[in-house]
Amino acid sequence: MARATTYEIRHLTAYEYRMAVPFARCVLRLTPIDRSGQVVRSAGLELDPPPEECQEGTDDFGNRIIRIAFHRPHTRLSIRSYARVEVVDADADAAVGALAARSPNWERMCDLALAGRDIRGLAPVGFLFSSRLVVLADPILAYAARSFEPGRTVVAAAIDLTRRIRRDFVYDPAATNVSTPVLEAFHARRGVCQDFAHVMIAGLRALGVPAAYVSGYLRTEPPPGQPRLEGVDATHAWVSVWCGPEIGWIGLDPTNGIAAGSSHVVLAVGRDYSDVSPVDGVVLTAGEQGLRVAVDVVEVPAAAKTGDQSMAD
Amino acid sequence: MRFGGRVRPDLAPLIAGYRPHPGVYDELIDASGGMRSHWEPLIGQLAGYGTEATARIFEAADRHLRDAGVVYRVYDGPGGAERPWPLSHLPLVMPLAEWQILADGIVQRARLHEALLADLYGEARTVKEGLVPAALVAGNREYLRPLIGVSPTGGAYLHLYAADVSRAPDGRWWVLNDRTQAPSGLGYAIENRIALSRAVPELFRSLNVDRLAAFYQRFRASLANLAGRPDPRIAVLSPGPLNETYFEHAYLARSMGFLLVEGGDLTVHRDAVYVRTVDGAQRVDAIIRRIDADFADPLELNTASRLGVPGLIEAIRAGTIILANALGSGVAEAPALGAYLPALARRLIGEDLQLSNLATWWCGDPAVRADVIAHLNERAVLPAFGRTLSNGQMEHSGIVGAGLTSPERIRLIGMLQTRGLDFIGQEPVRLATTPVWERGRLVPRHYALRVFAARASDGWHVMPGGLCRISERADARQLSMQRGGRSADVWVTCDRPPDWSILVPAPEDVEVSRETSALPSRAADNLFWLGRYLERADALLRLVRGLVGWGSESGPSDDEETPSERLSGILASWGAIPFATTEPRVAAAEALRSEFVGALPSVLGQALRTASAVRDRLSPDAWRALGELSASFPPHRQGAERDDLAGAADRSAPEMSDRIEAALRTISALAGLAHENMNRAGGWRFLDLGTRVERAIVVARFSRRMAQPSSDPSLAISSLDRLLDLTDAQTAYRARYLSGPALKPVLDLVLLDASHPRSVAFQVERIVAHLDKLGGRGLQTQPDVAQTRAYRLCERLRRIEVSSLGEEAIVETEAALMVISDAITERYLAGPPPAED
Repeated sequence: MARATTYEIRHLTAYEYRMAVPFARCVLRLTPIDRSGQVVRSAGLELDPPPEECQEGTDDFGNRIIRIAFHRPHTRLSIRSYARVEVVDADADAAVGALAARSPNWERMCDLALAGRDIRGLAPVGFLFSSRLVVLADPILAYAARSFEPGRTVVAAAIDLTRRIRRDFVYDPAATNVSTPVLEAFHARRGVCQDFAHVMIAGLRALGVPAAYVSGYLRTEPPPGQPRLEGVDATHAWVSVWCGPEIGWIGLDPTNGIAAGSSHVVLAVGRDYSDVSPVDGVVLTAGEQGLRVAVDVVEVPAAAKTGDQSMAD
Repeated sequence: MRFGGRVRPDLAPLIAGYRPHPGVYDELIDASGGMRSHWEPLIGQLAGYGTEATARIFEAADRHLRDAGVVYRVYDGPGGAERPWPLSHLPLVMPLAEWQILADGIVQRARLHEALLADLYGEARTVKEGLVPAALVAGNREYLRPLIGVSPTGGAYLHLYAADVSRAPDGRWWVLNDRTQAPSGLGYAIENRIALSRAVPELFRSLNVDRLAAFYQRFRASLANLAGRPDPRIAVLSPGPLNETYFEHAYLARSMGFLLVEGGDLTVHRDAVYVRTVDGAQRVDAIIRRIDADFADPLELNTASRLGVPGLIEAIRAGTIILANALGSGVAEAPALGAYLPALARRLIGEDLQLSNLATWWCGDPAVRADVIAHLNERAVLPAFGRTLSNGQMEHSGIVGAGLTSPERIRLIGMLQTRGLDFIGQEPVRLATTPVWERGRLVPRHYALRVFAARASDGWHVMPGGLCRISERADARQLSMQRGGRSADVWVTCDRPPDWSILVPAPEDVEVSRETSALPSRAADNLFWLGRYLERADALLRLVRGLVGWGSESGPSDDEETPSERLSGILASWGAIPFATTEPRVAAAEALRSEFVGALPSVLGQALRTASAVRDRLSPDAWRALGELSASFPPHRQGAERDDLAGAADRSAPEMSDRIEAALRTISALAGLAHENMNRAGGWRFLDLGTRVERAIVVARFSRRMAQPSSDPSLAISSLDRLLDLTDAQTAYRARYLSGPALKPVLDLVLLDASHPRSVAFQVERIVAHLDKLGGRGLQTQPDVAQTRAYRLCERLRRIEVSSLGEEAIVETEAALMVISDAITERYLAGPPPAED
């Protein structure tokens, strides 16, 4: 691997229930896997209380998923995941900028994607249509279309859209919640990474450009001399854009107006948030519940990289 | 008239004005203007009856449907509304030979779709070979990725298949839609048959109409067989009472001995599916799925679903549960696939497709799209996946190109050019026509026929009949029961009487049996609360009657509570009015009309809501009576000045009394219906438990408030007098005591006398009897709190001295009843998860 940055990731999800939960079932998408530009050195989960059922698997998009069930009454559940991941150091903006000139025109994306004869995994044809949380609406189409002038290359147009969303939308965690419809966030021009990613995906797909939703992490502290990014306190979300069979998928982060690079660690990829939400749980409880999430992504100094296998705290 | 010479003279009056539409196939009249011979027996018979008698016969059929409570739900406005099922009285008549051609084609399509699903969820060879565009699979939201590579339990994706068909002008059948997800209509089809065959029994027999029963029996038997164990449990998984076709879910469950469940009734434990019942969790072997697949498992599919069963896909992977139809089967319904079915048939089953689709063009292909746009006037444009486009661009029924205004046309072309892949073009179709009886005459009306096929161990079987839907409009895509359509029975006529020896009894002759099916906890819970709500409504009406009947009175001093104030105090403590008032008529009006949560409209609304969730267990009469009761006390907006209320109440006092009396009669009629008609093995016991618990609580509350001491003896007596009214105890009291109401005798009668049917002691003895019966069911793994507490309370009421019955003792009784109610809920209704293996 080329020069790389190593991150130590700790992700805590803790539920507290006012009344004991007799039975619970969850699906976790908290385990990163090796992908282009990232290598997972170690990864693990700690569950308290320990589950009675636990199965590991892979979904059709290639994400690692863990299915668990709790049979005993419990009043709290804490899920701690940790991972050590190496991400290739590269100036992502420069690299993507270089692609801008030589990528195909965006108008060809739809037909190129439709020509494929694969329906599985990340085949681009599965990312062209509306999905549960992404509606293809005229206002978003019109907004996105301003970046997609006739004859422009797909990478250039997509970078432009990424930067416009960064410029036009206000990062405001109070404006939306996890189930705010994409059109509402679009009209309000406010929201968080999930909303911005959904808006961008809706615009791209409406134009016939395959677009995927990426969940992952950002490094908590920026490298010296660089600004702190938005979205470091929880899992982050950005967009993967398909740019033809030669270039494939590239990551663009509309929340920060940049290409996804060495500060981004990919957790899972899907059509929208509903395919990749880190913890899906169904809990039978009449009472209220409290939720606490904490994410820490720390660069491991080069000297500390060897021989450290024990990461549990 | 062109067909003059060929029509029997006695039939001429009926069809004198019958004019088939040009260029459209008509079932009754052939191209040369003569009547098709297979209609002659039916039309001849009707001509023999004459117009008036025929009308009477058809009214009888309508009456059957009404009495049987056959309804469907229309989605207009909040919650929608139920409509009686509209029957078009004349059946569609089809000779067996003609029917067989259609049936053969339907079986072939069922086999084709099964093979297609197996391929798409398996190796997807047909996509790799280019026989079907990848986008039409991967882009379809019904293509459920978690199900890829998962083979269906029982070996088949489809157990039930349906197609909507009509005829081309030359009489050949073509297919409008394939239904592979969860075909609806089986319940309505059988109700149409029952209604009509009862109205015209001789006619039905003389035409040798093929019977439907064997089809239903075979479907049931085949699912039961696949389960591979004796007495398998088969559930109908419904979205619940607000669904358009909930009646049908309940009907199928009731008539075929399936368990009607909602997602919350089912739970997955160690990869197997269980239903929560009052007897504990019990294994489910097969699910007849009437919810959309994406909602079936909130863990691995749509996490926003509240209708599904968390972990269901795990159970499917483990092969422990049969789904009819399999999750993901809906992908085969996409109208866009129609364009590719002929080639798919040759590749997948090595046959030429017997029934054609409407000509279909997918606009994801640039050349095809250009051609559709060029011929827009001769095309209809529809969403490719048959699903309404979520941005409001197009309904699932699509748009017909001809007749569009210029801006509409420009907009449609714009949509096709930016997102052609979302659309298909189809040839517009003019549906064939069949005769319909309207105001004493026959007229041609457009129809589409839904034909059903079910899988059995020896292959697919087609139901000899179906659901014929009739429309005023010619365009197939406008056909919808939501838009005021009607439906007709379908009679497949044989040359000889059907072979009775192979026929099992028709479902219409089979006695409903529920003895063996477990009572889901949710159903029991709803019945329990229905009992409680109805009894609370009864108590509210009695309180209001007490307030209205006595008028206002004032006590000797402001410190002393009048009996009316005590009554309104009870209303306030139940949240029926905001606070106690000295003005009885205001309290009465508010309790009957307001939106307060404890007021009558809200309590009746809750009763109706709980009843709607157990429709399959209530008689149509009971359901109708409850609906009328609730409708007669609509909530009025709050904020009216109390003085206005008093004035309005004064003006309408006599009318109010009448309504109260009528409502009390309805509630007691409902109790009678339940008592006389409900199966004791089913939910009746929980309904009665709810009634008894609530009545005991209510009477204890009445007693505590009305028997409170007062320094004014006349007020105390008047208060006790009203307590006797509230508890229907005047007659019993007078028969026993010559004097007027006195504290100890009154309390003895309404609290302790177990022979008085409204006393607390009587209710508690009934509760004990019910719990004794229930206690014998299922596994006794824990001491039964409800039973223990009920015994204790019963014993206490038997032993207690009436002189020691102070306020404190009554409060204790009320508290004990609440504990019993909670314990019943926990023991039988909350549905604990299955015990650890």
